[in-house]
Amino acid sequence: MAADKKPPVVADEAISTEGMGYLESIPRRVVTLYLPLGVFVFVLLFPFYWMVTTSIKPNAELLSREGNPFWVRNPTFEHFYHLIFETPYPEWMWNTVIVSCVSTFASLAASVFAAYAIERLRFKGSKQTGLAIFLAYLVPPSILFIPLAAIVFKLGLFDTRWALILTYPTFLIPFCTWLLMGYFRSIPFELEECALIDGATRWQILVKIVLPLAVPGLISAGIFAFTLSWNEFIYALTFISSSEVKTVPVGVVTELVEGDVYHWGALMAGALLGSLPVAIMYSFFVEYYVSGMTGAVKE
Amino acid sequence: MLPAGVLLLIFLTYPLGLGTWLGFTDTKIGRAGEWVGIENFQFLIGDSVARLSLFNTLFYTVVASIIKFALGLWLALLLNRHIPFKSFFRAIVLLPFIVPTALSALAFWWLYDAQFSVISWSLTKMGLIHRYIDFLGDPWNARLSVIAANIWRGVPFVAICLLAGLQTISPTLYEAAALDGATPWQRFWYVTLPLLTPIIAVVMTFSVLFTFTDFQLIYVITRGGPLNSTHLMATLSFQRAIPGGSLGEGAALATLMVPFLLAAILFSYFGLQRRAWQQGAKD
Repeated sequence: MAADKKPPVVADEAISTEGMGYLESIPRRVVTLYLPLGVFVFVLLFPFYWMVTTSIKPNAELLSREGNPFWVRNPTFEHFYHLIFETPYPEWMWNTVIVSCVSTFASLAASVFAAYAIERLRFKGSKQTGLAIFLAYLVPPSILFIPLAAIVFKLGLFDTRWALILTYPTFLIPFCTWLLMGYFRSIPFELEECALIDGATRWQILVKIVLPLAVPGLISAGIFAFTLSWNEFIYALTFISSSEVKTVPVGVVTELVEGDVYHWGALMAGALLGSLPVAIMYSFFVEYYVSGMTGAVKE
Repeated sequence: MLPAGVLLLIFLTYPLGLGTWLGFTDTKIGRAGEWVGIENFQFLIGDSVARLSLFNTLFYTVVASIIKFALGLWLALLLNRHIPFKSFFRAIVLLPFIVPTALSALAFWWLYDAQFSVISWSLTKMGLIHRYIDFLGDPWNARLSVIAANIWRGVPFVAICLLAGLQTISPTLYEAAALDGATPWQRFWYVTLPLLTPIIAVVMTFSVLFTFTDFQLIYVITRGGPLNSTHLMATLSFQRAIPGGSLGEGAALATLMVPFLLAAILFSYFGLQRRAWQQGAKD
């Protein structure tokens, strides 16, 4: 093995910058690191590339077997035009935006109170409530959608946006609460005690001390909750039947896939446009997103 | 101060209670279907499609989870090395996880198209195959295809979470091991893996949960076909309950998933316990 060639010299600055990476030779690095990494990135990104090229290919090019399918010869925007002006796609987009925003903010507000109560107000069973929240977070929507459908129907909310706005918090609140509990825990108690001595009420403590300090946590939870509700599929598929109130993922899958001829160009254009908002938001808040995800997994 | 505290306590915990209450009513109405009859379960046990869906779900979960774990760990180790544009790579890698699954599943559906699949096209051009692969028409091909799509979506999650775990391991441990003459493999096996075990347990619990209860990918790519060969329990319960109309049967199927869920949670719990034990032993 090439590892035997390691020089036994320990250089201080090399360790501080790149650990033991300097021990490796360049060709070895290419084979063990860049090659597999390149393959991973290629495979992970290829479906997106394929979405983009399909959405700008004219139909004739999509259905011909001649030429290289990886390249677009005559790019066109006809699929996007068709999507925006000849289908209810803009309505779905609007529905998704409304539903995601409202349910995100509502869940965030509820979660702040819940997390603060669990973390800071010492009441009997707060530990158990915390655990219950975690378990609630683990219950997947594919088990809950049938009973929820029954409830939605009973409340007369079937086929309205309210059905989604009210059911999304069932998975958003446990998640946000769990995440925020971790953030609140990291805020030192002493700050709140100082405020208490200065005569602040609980409400003032929450609004003026805890929340400003927990802003990164709020952003992570908000971003994550927004993405979750934007991507939600099974509830939207079950509770909504008329086209005007569908969300983007459901609309694209159920309305654009009709008949025997699949309009791949329009389908991919729809998938692309539907993915863009979350992708753009994600690109602005990558760090928050990652910390939200790993924070939720690490206790 | 005390009354205010109590008042706030009520108001703060109220939404929480409401959430819990909702959670409980859900399960109760779900169980109402189950309570109506053990018949539902008896019927499902006798139903060959339901048994097939159980097999599919287990197969799907086991195969996808193992491969996701292996690839995810590999990718995490790669990303943990010293590379240029590290955060850029990390951002790109997570992309499949954040876009709506239903929409990326559409892309896979198109990639798996029997006539125009670009995968078949490339393989034919390379001379590896002579006929286009019927990805979704044959039961086993379809199973493996949806598993591949699931892996594509799940690897980023596993990788990024494990990466977070890897970054907490102090490099001095590796240096010490290297000075003691450990090979890279030994460093991985005796330093990385033991320190990573707790987070692996948690991440894999989540991964298994997501995979086991997966719905969107299957619904979009195959709708359970061909010949019910890719139906998971979640998709079958949807099919029986919503288009099929028999809510009780669907709910019974969903309830059957609960024991597996509990098993996964217990697994996670013991993973966490083990961490406490490990830390106690190390100190």
